[in-house]
Amino acid sequence: MDMKRHYYEDIQIFQKPVHVFWFVILLIGLVILPLVTRNYTMSLVNFIAINVIVTLGLNLLVGYTGQISLGHAGFVAIGAYATVLLMQHLGLNFFPALVLAGFVAAGFGFLLGLPALRLEGPYLAIATLGFGMAVTQIIGRSTFFGGRMGLKVPKINIAGITLSSDKELYIVIISITVLMAFAMRNLTRSRVGRALIAIRESDIAAETLGVNLAWYKTLSFAVSAFYAGVAGGLLAIIFGYINPSIFDFVMSILFLAMVVVGGAGAILGSILGGIVVTFLDLKLNAVTSMPLIGDLLREISTRWMSVSGLPNFRSVLFGILLILFVVFEPHGLYGIWLRIKKYWKTWPF
Amino acid sequence: MFSQLIINGISSGSLYALVALAMVIIYKASEVPNFAQGEMATLSVFVAWHFVNAQFLPFYQAVAAALLFAFAVGVLFEFTVLRRAEKPSILELIVMTLGLQMFIYGIIGWKWGAEQKTFSLPIAEDSVVQLGPVVIGWLNIITIVTSLLCVLLLYLFFTHTKLGTAMRAVQMNSTAARINGIRVHRIMSLTWGLSAVIGTIAGILFAPVSPLDPQLMWDPLLKGFAAGVLGGMTSPFGAVLGGYILGIIENLFGAYISLEFKSVVAFALIVLVLWFKPSGLFSRHYERKV
Amino acid sequence: MNDFFTVTGLTRTFGGVVAIDALDFAQKKGSIFSIIGPNGAGKTTLFNCISGIYRPDSGEICFQGRRIDGLKPDAIARHGIARTFQNLELFFRMTTMENLMLGRHIHMRTNIWHGLTMFHKNSTAAREEAEHREKVEHIIDLLDLQSARDVPVGALPYGRQKLVELGRALALEPSLLLLDEPSAGMTSDERQDLFFWIKDIQQELGVSILMIEHNMQMVMDISDRVLAIDFGKKLVEGTPEEVAAHPEVIKAYLGED
Repeated sequence: MDMKRHYYEDIQIFQKPVHVFWFVILLIGLVILPLVTRNYTMSLVNFIAINVIVTLGLNLLVGYTGQISLGHAGFVAIGAYATVLLMQHLGLNFFPALVLAGFVAAGFGFLLGLPALRLEGPYLAIATLGFGMAVTQIIGRSTFFGGRMGLKVPKINIAGITLSSDKELYIVIISITVLMAFAMRNLTRSRVGRALIAIRESDIAAETLGVNLAWYKTLSFAVSAFYAGVAGGLLAIIFGYINPSIFDFVMSILFLAMVVVGGAGAILGSILGGIVVTFLDLKLNAVTSMPLIGDLLREISTRWMSVSGLPNFRSVLFGILLILFVVFEPHGLYGIWLRIKKYWKTWPF
Repeated sequence: MFSQLIINGISSGSLYALVALAMVIIYKASEVPNFAQGEMATLSVFVAWHFVNAQFLPFYQAVAAALLFAFAVGVLFEFTVLRRAEKPSILELIVMTLGLQMFIYGIIGWKWGAEQKTFSLPIAEDSVVQLGPVVIGWLNIITIVTSLLCVLLLYLFFTHTKLGTAMRAVQMNSTAARINGIRVHRIMSLTWGLSAVIGTIAGILFAPVSPLDPQLMWDPLLKGFAAGVLGGMTSPFGAVLGGYILGIIENLFGAYISLEFKSVVAFALIVLVLWFKPSGLFSRHYERKV
Repeated sequence: MNDFFTVTGLTRTFGGVVAIDALDFAQKKGSIFSIIGPNGAGKTTLFNCISGIYRPDSGEICFQGRRIDGLKPDAIARHGIARTFQNLELFFRMTTMENLMLGRHIHMRTNIWHGLTMFHKNSTAAREEAEHREKVEHIIDLLDLQSARDVPVGALPYGRQKLVELGRALALEPSLLLLDEPSAGMTSDERQDLFFWIKDIQQELGVSILMIEHNMQMVMDISDRVLAIDFGKKLVEGTPEEVAAHPEVIKAYLGED
């Protein structure tokens, strides 16, 4: 048995020096990135980072606690609208507004989590689905929220500097993303995270060990909603304009796809899933201009389907991805990564 | 005025009842709410529309073909996807039906585009029948009668046929059913097929009053869920009753309280029911065994 | 009588079927109390009532002078009652160490904020974590589970899984430990070890043990008192010798002849 000097080593963020090394490389990469890329690429990176935040939060709920939410777009919408309205009506600065919006979303998450205590998986799925749809319906019908037309997002300025370019926004967004990823990692290796995983594995055993199911399930909802809320605020900033149709049911499913494809119950899974699915989603918007695949799809479209409907190929692909991952790789990309790692360690035996 | 609202409520409730019924049949068998049910129905309605529009088949044959198609889609999904997963958790089952939903949604949009089409029954849709103070459209009458007929046929099917009894056996306890020589997988496939057919009937009845687009069944599906939850998800009788109740409440709410938020009623009902009686109004409470 | 742990007039029905029927018994502090009876006699239902998973229809359960019937399972755990399950309820994808750490849950204070900000070794959460991991390490040593320490318990053999469940209950530092068929499915060697561990737990840790067990040899050797039940009712209660001599018990365990 290896000798441990201190029990903290069991749970420290980086288990081995090599992890620290890779993390430093990653940080350097994140710092260099805006210096070597165009503004357009930066806007993609920003969008990806924001989705990673949502995925981190949703994974806590779905992957760690074993609950489900089909209405996370609703929390993102609440965060986005709260940020904008707090800035407009109360004249708050961006950061206080963003944090407060996170708490507003968390409050709604808490409320939605309350019935969750009494609901098993399928019922909860239905309730959250209804929640997500109700949020956009209510926003779309109320003039205070700008109705269907939506709201214009004010320019943000931090310490007197107005942030306008994607590169400037990148600094803010990526710092928040890294911070929130670490916070989530901390949470999941602490007492609270352990209790949540225990609920997923056996809620009855967790309860007989003193875990208050009611409290921890609502807590999981609230934290998850907080992440979605903050992401919503950032989303509003990079979009510059928000309306209820952005936060539709498909968005909620896309978030779920990020968790499933990345790997439920793993921080690295959230990050991988957020990156890969968002990237795919963005690429698919211009699928016809892709080499080979684009031609093939155009061919299929003209022969059997319709060319004008080709953008819907995105849904087809994500549907297939969801099914394939659940059936063949329930641990997602993270599971594949673990297997590759194991393979190399024992190679060539 | 009031009786008019009730009649309208029963008419839309008939649709919700069918959707809820289709949902409950699957839920009882595999403990998963089928989120793809709406899209499965929409796809079948599009198939019927396609046949009619291309003048390939006359209306009734096209509908029959669509129902057959729906049955095949249901059976195929159970056979090719659900059966492949190894001991899937409820969460994974839900995600699989969501995957199917996205897939079919995309296929519909890809094939028929997003522009709205119309699908109407071969009747004069604005023809009405006057019953004392109440005016009923022919379409409403057809909807109500068809759904009642479906419910009746299903009841007879489940209680009086060998296949129906086997389906109920699988719903109650699939292990015991297997021990007794019932081919659980085959029954499960047929259950999915049957559910898809019922959902499609609802879709065909709903299509004339709504633009035919890929999102055709989103609203009825949510309402069907609400009706199912109202009735307890495990009781077909409760689901049908839940559908009618929801239809009536919704219409009364729209007339007397707020037309604006009429469509949010279903959601509010779900929350209220789940809050006060999580097992639904018409089903017994279930306790987990340790 | 005594006020350590008493069950009075406990009744629980399931849709007309009476699983436990006006059951009374009392356990002395520090003793090993065994419950025997045929399958379906209501033993596990009794445990589920005690640990709060089921709510009794009527009757009282008192622990250290306080009524605990009708409380939620987590509240009962905080009163100092821990249990194991007949069909293992482990956290299968967590390691042995993590499973046992759940036993420390009620003794730890780390909240959501501490958790989110556990950035370094000297943060509140990290210090508490290390402190409790050390305590758990002792239990791992006691039950000889070192080799399983960092292995997901789903990958362990059945006998070891049962030990992990025992260790998890012990980590809660209970005053009363409920064991639901602890030796079921164990090899005879494992059963021997278990026998000594249960004795150790009683004598050295001073934990009172309430146990459902089918192995009569073990029940006779280890118990201070034995309760035999059938159809949810008390057949006989007394010392192992008294119970073993009771005609109904002989009939049930040795057959009619």
